[in-house]
Amino acid sequence: MIKVKNLGKIYKAGAHPVVALADVDLTVKPGEFVSVMGPSGSGKSTLMNLLGCLDILTSGSYLLDGMEVSGMSETELAQVRKLKIGFVFQAFNLLPRMSAIRNVELPMIYAGVAPRERARRAAEALEKVGLAQRMSHRPGELSGGQIQRVSIARALVNNPAVILADEPTGNLDTRSGEEIMAIFQELNRGGATIVLVTHEREIALHTSRIVHFRDGRLVEDEPVAAPLDAREHISAAVPVGQAGSNIESGGEFGR
Amino acid sequence: MNLLESVRVALEGIMTSKLRSFLTTLGIVIGIAAVIAVVAIGQGGRAVLMAEMEKIGTNIFAIYVDWRSDKKVTGREFNLSDVAVIKDKVPDITHLSPVNNSLCDVRGPKDQKTGRVIGVSSDYFYIRKFNMKEGHFFTEEDDAGKRRVAVLDEELAGQVFGRAEALGSIITLNSTPFLVVGILAKSESALGFSENPGVYVPIQAWQVMFNSQVQELEGSAASKEKVDEAMGQAVKVLERRHQTPGKYAGMSMEQEMQAANKITGIMTLIIGAIAGISLFVGGIGVMNIMLVSVTERTREIGIRMALGARRRDILVQFLIESIMLCLLGGIIGMALGAGGAYLIAKLAKWPPLVSWWTALLAFAFSAAIGVVFGLLPANKAARLNPIEALRRE
Ligand SMILES: Nc1ncnc2c1ncn2[C@@H]1O[C@H](COP(=O)(O)OP(=O)(O)OP(=O)(O)O)[C@@H](O)[C@H]1O
Ligand SMILES: [Mg+2]
Repeated sequence: MIKVKNLGKIYKAGAHPVVALADVDLTVKPGEFVSVMGPSGSGKSTLMNLLGCLDILTSGSYLLDGMEVSGMSETELAQVRKLKIGFVFQAFNLLPRMSAIRNVELPMIYAGVAPRERARRAAEALEKVGLAQRMSHRPGELSGGQIQRVSIARALVNNPAVILADEPTGNLDTRSGEEIMAIFQELNRGGATIVLVTHEREIALHTSRIVHFRDGRLVEDEPVAAPLDAREHISAAVPVGQAGSNIESGGEFGR
Repeated sequence: MNLLESVRVALEGIMTSKLRSFLTTLGIVIGIAAVIAVVAIGQGGRAVLMAEMEKIGTNIFAIYVDWRSDKKVTGREFNLSDVAVIKDKVPDITHLSPVNNSLCDVRGPKDQKTGRVIGVSSDYFYIRKFNMKEGHFFTEEDDAGKRRVAVLDEELAGQVFGRAEALGSIITLNSTPFLVVGILAKSESALGFSENPGVYVPIQAWQVMFNSQVQELEGSAASKEKVDEAMGQAVKVLERRHQTPGKYAGMSMEQEMQAANKITGIMTLIIGAIAGISLFVGGIGVMNIMLVSVTERTREIGIRMALGARRRDILVQFLIESIMLCLLGGIIGMALGAGGAYLIAKLAKWPPLVSWWTALLAFAFSAAIGVVFGLLPANKAARLNPIEALRRE
């Protein structure tokens, strides 16, 4: 799905160029769930921006879903973002004045999906993340965990080749984080390819593989033999019967 | 993303902050309202003026001593036999009358007023198409006999006679007694001034009272098409008789209407241009707020770009937003302007004139302002870098 070779990124800010990434080789197979770890400033976000076609790589090559991305024009990159990539941000990045369902519809507007089909698919995606009952709420009326679930619905609604999540649990408490991981795991079981950045090893252990970065280099590629199952954590943390209390009925999670 | 979607997204942008959107477009509202109102009032006024002049008669003319001529004015430029000769030589002139004007003391049984005494021949009645309220206009015989008869307009009759019967009574003009033989009906004028000021007396009686001059001539031609030609011929006859080329000038109602038309047109244009400047200022206001709005919505722009919006999509979104804002202002302004014009027209008893082309022009113009003043902010938005935009608070 993702095949990166000799990837390098140099920021030319001010007098001293910053080497944010150097010589990164990384392959993510279809259906893989990979987490990226590393200290602050090690280039994790830079990598995600490059994988997400938000930024242009300085050197190396990047094959996404069989397409060479390096050398593409900005318009072509926008096209790739809209059709192949689903973003989940640490800061959520929903449009605050729009309802949850309008937010989820947004990527489909740019993809040219017809309004009725859009509404149907957005509702479906929100159901999938357990927010069937919160569709017309604005972000301000939702909890952090719920907001992040809306943004996951938004990321998956165009059926992207890969979902990129930069510290999606970074702004959430452990409990909400587990819920988010449960959703990612469910999506991954459904075949989704996911790359996720995290600072917490606990979170990373929910994925099938951890790649470690230091000073812009990939230093270790660690397979996870037996990934944790977030569903067990959620049900273990609260008494039986309240397991789904934070997750709306109608969703597939938390049951 | 197609146009309909862009319009919807732009509308969402406008509707999320209604008050601010309205304030943004207020300059456009005022500008368009001013332009519409000014043009409508100008056109209404012109239409009334034209109708009024048409009512007086499009086939009438006046001949007077050309004040631009450097020749000395002797007071002998016209005489009574000129009138007969011109009528004889120019068959297209149906009626022709000398017209003399003077102020004098008009005294009746009730009151005394300073009024205009106008000396004319019996033809004048037909030239001006007077309506009699009572009695009749004086005749050719009255004139030839230098009889002291008078025709009063209704207003003056009311002032000097009060409730007393005026017809058949005596008034004095500068102490000379005159018999009232007719009262002119008041003419309804939308412009608000009376067409019948004062008192009409036979020209020869007037000359006995004041002096033997003839001040100017008024006449009517067979038709509006023939008036300029006939007037020119009359001037030539006068020049030949008096051996004074270039001393006379004529003005037909037709020419006067054209002149009035031109003047009202220019006035409308000037005031309209001033109103147009306020539109320009309004456009700058829109641009200002849109620039602020782009800065405020940097993060939104970043999000949209991350979700697949091309630079073009962002540009179109903000451009359409600016166009819709201006159109919105244009529509509100149009309603206000048309309402204002209607109100003023109603007060002034004019026909309310908001032509479809002014409305269309205002519509197109506000859209154009939206494009012109939206380009800079929209371009600023589209040039943002998605990563930096996302990082912005
Ligand atoms: N726009 C930029 N201009 C210049 N330098 C940058 C820019 N963005 C990132 N960097 C630098 O690149 C390096 C990698 O930054 P990056 O944001 O990828 O780190 P990170 O691993 O995501 O850190 P964190 O865990 O704190 O989010 C850092 O040294 C940072 O200062
Ligand atoms: Mg980061």
